[in-house]
Amino acid sequence: MQTLIYIIMVPMVYAAAAIFVVGIIIRLVVLLRAPANPSTLQIYPEKRPKWLWAIHDTFLFPTVRRHKPVLWVFLILFHIAFLLLFIGHLELFADFQLTQIIAHDIFLGQGFVGLTLSICLLFFLFRRIKSPVREISVPEDYLLLLLLFLTVLFGSQMDWARTWYEYGELTVEDYRAYLLSLVVLKPDLPFATTFSGHSFMLVLHIFFANLFLIFFPFSQLMHSILSLPMNKLRRG
Amino acid sequence: MDEKTKTELLTLFKNKLNRAMRYYLDTCTRCGVCTKACHAYASTGQVRYTSAYRHELVRRLYKKYFKLQGKVWPAAGEAKVLEDMTIKELYDAAYSCTGCRRCMVYCPFGIDTQMIMSIAKLLLVGASTEPELLTMLADMSIEKGKSMDVFKESFLTGIKKLEGQVVEKWRSEAGETVIPIDVDGADLLYVALAGAHSIIPAAAVFNAAGEHWTLSFFEAVNFGAFVGDPTRTTLILDRIISEAKRLKVKEVCICECGTAFRVMKHLTGPQPFKVSSITEVQARYIREGRIRLDKSIVSDTVTYHDPCQIARNGGIIDEARYILHHLTDNYTEMTKEPKYNWCCGGGGGLVAMGEETLDFRMTSSSIKADQVRKTGAKILSTACENCHTQLGDLNDHYKLGVDVKFLSSMVADALVR
Ligand code: SF4
Ligand code: SF4
Repeated sequence: MQTLIYIIMVPMVYAAAAIFVVGIIIRLVVLLRAPANPSTLQIYPEKRPKWLWAIHDTFLFPTVRRHKPVLWVFLILFHIAFLLLFIGHLELFADFQLTQIIAHDIFLGQGFVGLTLSICLLFFLFRRIKSPVREISVPEDYLLLLLLFLTVLFGSQMDWARTWYEYGELTVEDYRAYLLSLVVLKPDLPFATTFSGHSFMLVLHIFFANLFLIFFPFSQLMHSILSLPMNKLRRG
Repeated sequence: MDEKTKTELLTLFKNKLNRAMRYYLDTCTRCGVCTKACHAYASTGQVRYTSAYRHELVRRLYKKYFKLQGKVWPAAGEAKVLEDMTIKELYDAAYSCTGCRRCMVYCPFGIDTQMIMSIAKLLLVGASTEPELLTMLADMSIEKGKSMDVFKESFLTGIKKLEGQVVEKWRSEAGETVIPIDVDGADLLYVALAGAHSIIPAAAVFNAAGEHWTLSFFEAVNFGAFVGDPTRTTLILDRIISEAKRLKVKEVCICECGTAFRVMKHLTGPQPFKVSSITEVQARYIREGRIRLDKSIVSDTVTYHDPCQIARNGGIIDEARYILHHLTDNYTEMTKEPKYNWCCGGGGGLVAMGEETLDFRMTSSSIKADQVRKTGAKILSTACENCHTQLGDLNDHYKLGVDVKFLSSMVADALVR
C-alpha cells in the first residue's frame, strides 16, 4: 500500500506535471504554426477597442448571462472559486504579500470555496443529463467533470476537516513540506501525509488531480487558454 | 468507402485546418448555450439541428484523424471513422445549415459553425455527393468567364431591352447611356444578378445620382461558395476581380446578394478597389444629396429583414435603416438588435436548390414567420435575393399577408427630381 501511495504522490505527480506542461506547449505550437485564416471572422456591429471587448467576452461570458442566466451564475461562481483555489495552492509554495492584502489563513475562504466548487460541478454534471445538452455531450465531458468533482471533494474534505471539525493531524505545514520537497526534487513524504487518519484523502486528491492534469492538454479544457484568441476573432 | 477516396478526403480535411479552424474544433465545451440560436432547432425542436450537434459530426473525424486523444482513446470523445454513413450525416448537417452564424453570437467562445460546415461541404464535393445542381450552376458561371465572347452579344441585346424600363423610373439626360457596359475608367462597377429586377432599379438610381458607372458582364452570385468549393469560389470571383481591374474602376458595388457581398468584401483579401453593397451606395447618395426620395409613395408599415451575410456577417446595418427613414415614417424594427435577427432559412445554397429543399425551408423557419407576423408590418423589405425568395415562400406558406420587396426597388420607385 505504501508503495502505491508513494507512486501516486511522487512519480505520478512528476509525470502528470510534465505531460501537462509539455502537452500544452505542443498544442500551442501546433496552433501557432498553422496559418491564420485569410479573412475576417468578425461579427457585426463592431465595438472598439476590439481587444477590450474580447477580454470582456472572455472573462464575463456576456452571451451566457443573456441566454442562460442560471448557468451563468454557476459558471462565474465556479471560475472565481477555481481561481481562489489556484491561489490557495500557490500559497502552499510560498507566502505572497500580494494575496495577503486581505489577511487570511491558507486556504482562503474557510472551506466555502471548495463547497461552492463542488456544488457548481454537481450542477454542471446534472444539467448535462438533460436534453438537449445530453445529446451533444460526449464521455469526455462527464469524465472531466467527474474527475474535477472528485479532486475538489477530497481536497476540500481536508480543508473542511481542519476548519470545521477541528481536525489537526494533517497541517498546512505538512502539505508545504511535501510540496516543497517535490519542487526541489528531493521528494519526501512527511509522516502525517501518509499515515494519519485523513491521509487517504490527500492521496486520492492528488491521484485525481494527476489524472485531471494528464487529460487537460488533450481535452476541451484547452478552452481556458483559447477562449481569448477566439473571442478576439469574433470581435475582429 | 475505399482507402483511396478516404485518403483524398482526409487531405482535403487537412488543408482546411488553419489556426481558426483548429481553435473551433478544439474548444467546444458542449455547454449547450448555442442550442436555441439555430432557427432550424427553434422551429423543429430536433437536436440534430443545433449547431453543436452539427460540428460534433465534423469534430469526431477531426479527433480520429488529427488529434492524439482520438488515436489513443477514441471512446472519450466519440471519435469516428470516416465512412459512407458519415458522408450522409455530413450532408444532412451541412445542407440544413444556412451559414447564418447566429449561433456564433451565442457561443461564449464564438465558434463559427459556417466555417466548420465548410469542411463538411468540401468533403461532400470530394466524395462527389454534393448537390449536383449547385456544382452545375457554379460550372456555368465559370464557363461564362472563360468564353465571354460567346455570351457577349446575347448579353448586350438582353440589356438593351431593359433600358426602356429603366427610363420609366428615371429619365436620363439626352445622349446618356441608360445602362453603360464595359466603360473603361468608370468610377463604379455594378455587379448584378441575372434577373432584370436586379438591374433596372439599380440602374435608375445610379443614373439619378449621376454616377459614372458600368454594369458587369457577370452575375454576382457565387454558387461555388454555396457548395463550399474553394476552387470554384475563387474562379467565379476572379472573373469579376479581373473585369474590375481591367476597367480600372474605383469601386465594385455588389447587388442585393448576401453571399456575393460577403465573399467579395470579406473573403478576397485586399484589392485595388473598394467593395460596397448597393445598400451602402444608395445610403451614401441620400446622405450626399445626390438622390431624393418621396416619402408619400410608401404608406403601409414597413419592416426590414437584415440578411445575415450583409448585416451580422457583413456589417451593413445602419445604412438600411438610414434609407428606410427616408422612405417612410412608418418603419418598425423586426428585432431590437440586428445581430440577433432570425435567419430567413434560405441561405447556404438552400434557396438555390429550389423545390428540393422547399419543405425543409418551410418547417425549419416557422420561427421566422412568427417574427415577421409579430411586426404587424404590411411591407417586408430586404436586401438579398435569397432572403427575398425565401421570405416570399414563407409569406405564401404561412399566409403572412405581407408584400416582400427589395429595398433597392423601393428606393428606385420613390426617386424624385
Ligand atoms: S455555445 Fe459554443 S461551446 Fe457551447 S456547445 Fe455551442 S458551440 Fe459549443
Ligand atoms: S450557422 Fe445558422 S443555420 Fe447554421 S447552425 Fe448556426 S444558427 Fe443554425
